[in-house]
Amino acid sequence: MSQALVTGLNGLSYAFILFLLAAGFSLTFGVMGVLNLAHGALYMLGAYIGLQVIASVHQFWAAVVVAAIALAIVGYALYWFFLKKLYNKVPQQGVLTIGVSLIIANVVLWIWGPISHTMMSPRGLTGAVHVGSLGFPIYRLFVVGIGVLVLALLWYMQDRTRVGAIIRAGMDNRDMTVSLGINYGLVSTCVFLLGMALAGVAGVIGAPITGAYPSMGDNLLLLTLIVVVVGGTGYIQGTMLGALVIGMLDTFGKAYIPSVALFFSWIVFLAVLLLRPSGLIGRKVF
Amino acid sequence: MAPLLETKELSVHFGGLAAVRSVTFGIEPGERLALIGPNGAGKTTLFNLLTGQLKPSGGKVYFKDQDITNASVFSRTHMGMARSFQITSLFPEQSVMVNAMIGLQGVEKSRYAFFRPIFKDRVLTSAAQELLESAEIWDLRDEVVSSLAYGQQRKLEIALSLASHPDLLMLDEPSCGLTAAESADITKRVRALGKKITVLMIAHDMDLVFGVAERVILLHYGEIACEGTCDEIRSNALVREIYMGSRKQPGGV
Amino acid sequence: MSDERKRSTVETAAVAAPDAVAGRRFGATTMQDAGVVTVVAIIVLLLPLFIPSFVSSLVTKIMIYGLFATSLNIIWGYANIPSFGHAAFFGAGAYTAAILVIKLGITSFWLGLLVAIVVSAAIAAILGIPAFRVFGVGAGAVNPIYFLLATIAFGELLSRVAITIRPVTGGSTGLSGVPKAHIGFGSALSEKQFYYLVFVLGVICLFLMYRILSSHYGYALRGIHDNEKRMQALGYNTWLYKYTSWIIAGVFGGIAGVLFCYFGSSVIPSQFAMATSDISFLLVILGGTTVFFGPLVGSIFYVGIEYVVSIYLPARWPLIFGGLIVIAIMATPLSRQRYQGLGPGVLLLWRWLGRAVPRLWRREIAEAPSPKRGV
Repeated sequence: MSQALVTGLNGLSYAFILFLLAAGFSLTFGVMGVLNLAHGALYMLGAYIGLQVIASVHQFWAAVVVAAIALAIVGYALYWFFLKKLYNKVPQQGVLTIGVSLIIANVVLWIWGPISHTMMSPRGLTGAVHVGSLGFPIYRLFVVGIGVLVLALLWYMQDRTRVGAIIRAGMDNRDMTVSLGINYGLVSTCVFLLGMALAGVAGVIGAPITGAYPSMGDNLLLLTLIVVVVGGTGYIQGTMLGALVIGMLDTFGKAYIPSVALFFSWIVFLAVLLLRPSGLIGRKVF
Repeated sequence: MAPLLETKELSVHFGGLAAVRSVTFGIEPGERLALIGPNGAGKTTLFNLLTGQLKPSGGKVYFKDQDITNASVFSRTHMGMARSFQITSLFPEQSVMVNAMIGLQGVEKSRYAFFRPIFKDRVLTSAAQELLESAEIWDLRDEVVSSLAYGQQRKLEIALSLASHPDLLMLDEPSCGLTAAESADITKRVRALGKKITVLMIAHDMDLVFGVAERVILLHYGEIACEGTCDEIRSNALVREIYMGSRKQPGGV
Repeated sequence: MSDERKRSTVETAAVAAPDAVAGRRFGATTMQDAGVVTVVAIIVLLLPLFIPSFVSSLVTKIMIYGLFATSLNIIWGYANIPSFGHAAFFGAGAYTAAILVIKLGITSFWLGLLVAIVVSAAIAAILGIPAFRVFGVGAGAVNPIYFLLATIAFGELLSRVAITIRPVTGGSTGLSGVPKAHIGFGSALSEKQFYYLVFVLGVICLFLMYRILSSHYGYALRGIHDNEKRMQALGYNTWLYKYTSWIIAGVFGGIAGVLFCYFGSSVIPSQFAMATSDISFLLVILGGTTVFFGPLVGSIFYVGIEYVVSIYLPARWPLIFGGLIVIAIMATPLSRQRYQGLGPGVLLLWRWLGRAVPRLWRREIAEAPSPKRGV
């Protein structure tokens, strides 16, 4: 029972990492309708860039910032050279971003080599908090904290700010929003870049937990897809819920019944996709 | 005689907006009925309800005395309904000939034939030829539809709606975007359709309406505002107020 | 109808059929398709006599991939059902054949093929029901995102199943040691004999697919591609067409999988997964979706590049693969969809040859001194 609490914290922190990752995807998918299947590879890029920065200057927060900026730049290049020309052609976007993800994955492999890297949690965040006989790793508590902060910020932006209102309007009816004189193109591009930066941040923050290895892009992409579909798009709460469900399911599954844990999430994914495609808390797409 | 098509209190809501409210009307076999109304009145929405592209929130639709309210779009075509679309809806990457053949096949058993090359089907190719010749676009048969002029596409659009040999032909703004000469041509064609076809038509072009229709229904904000013969509609002050504005009417203001 | 009018209608109809555009949107006629195919078939038949065996093994791979890609094109190019999970069927075919031979000791190639066809069809039939609930006019969102994600899920799920049920499927390392194919008489096939088996099966399958796609059914698929809404309004049960085309594509994909199993002598879980699906749609897009043998052309190009890269830059293959995808997509002039890919290029070349050669021939005859002329 008490061990379950520790597993629970692991699940929760994992859920928040998934949330940070999926939030970026959810924004681009929900807001722009863009299918960016390179998202996992971008997370990986963020993790490796962060790793490099830490290895060079030993500054964790610098790594986070650099990764965020680097990904925003890469994201913009992706938009400018490719995605702009594929407006509304969803299968083509999917195919293109798959190609991009393969390129990024191989470039990362080329630069940093095939060995997995473990990133130590930054000094000051190592160790554990002890409650009775249980040890709760501080870094995991930190991840939960950051996750809650980002969730709160995004939720606030969605519900309380003008930008959020514009985004919600645009999701409902893009043409109308544009015809009201709102530069929706600019807003959606900014949201896209925000999503990219978020992936970079997630990469650096998540690396001590998920590790950094050459094939991580694929795994994380698939997890992202599952989270976004299960939770639903359009509402940040949906993405959080999806991340919670999948994060907990995956962690507890691996801890208690590892043999089926592998495709538990996939069954849930298919079930939601086919029975309630809009997701648990998604905008009604169907 | 029982009406060919009948609706009872048909309505549809989108969220808070009632696009079509409680519409009850019928059309007799052989009749020519026109549906007019300002933009946004719900005419195309009503068509979509009748053809099954949209499911109603309430009410019923009857065709040939059968309740088709929940019938699928394609089964209604097999029962004898056909429609044309306001926004030209063709097969843009195929040739005109292929468009005609696809159109004709829709109600034939052969549409499931999966081994015979389609162009060896002489029955189909000659039927397609007949269809295209009567629409006067036979010489365009090898042109890809996306390269045709708008007027030529409209001709094909209407030809396709006749391809299934319907009992009820529903035309949605058949002369939309056409020149006066082309509209007059459409008017002539619709008039030439035999009594075996019943015609329900949405139109803005009053020459078309008065040239073809025996009865007119005016739709406003999703409801039937008034109906009557052409003369009754022409002289109705409410109609003029709602819809006709400053258009010069034959014999009117 | 007067006799004269009747006669001229019949005449016109007779002229109309070969005259009218018989091929797909690109405008190829049946004669030209047949011409290209005959020439290529002859080349392929005679090839092993002239070239070293590693080349014929590459050509075998080209044929298998060509079959795989053409089967995807049935739904991707013709019916406009883009699938990111076609490898599900490929893997199903491959694993069925391997399991039958290795685990159950059934060495007959034909039996393996038959069972694989049934299994692929069954999987397609089962997966197709939920898949088309989230795709298509009247079914769900017209935006195919959810369908694409579902197809990804299918492949990944099957790959994970293969990893999990180790006793049957050999787990994450798969099954290896598939013996050479046994076609019922004589001993197991040598590599060269397998080449001809693949060729014969490939030709049969391509022929079947071609006939299906040129039939009434096939043209209905093209109609659905262009305008599903109108098809329904014209009386077509579009769901039925999409569902059956999905199954047909799955069956032919499964056949390709069986051949690949014998080709590589092994099966691994990634044959269900995205890694293999990526190849399938790269071939389709590279070769062109608008011409029947486009994917086959894409396959030739792909296998060629893969081979060259495997010699000089093997570590960079995923990068080049990704690059090919990016180039293939971006190089599509999206406004001129008809010319997308390498396939139409080949067709244009063929037609140009078809005009240029007779012209040259005629010029030779015209330039020869004619005894009848006075000059």
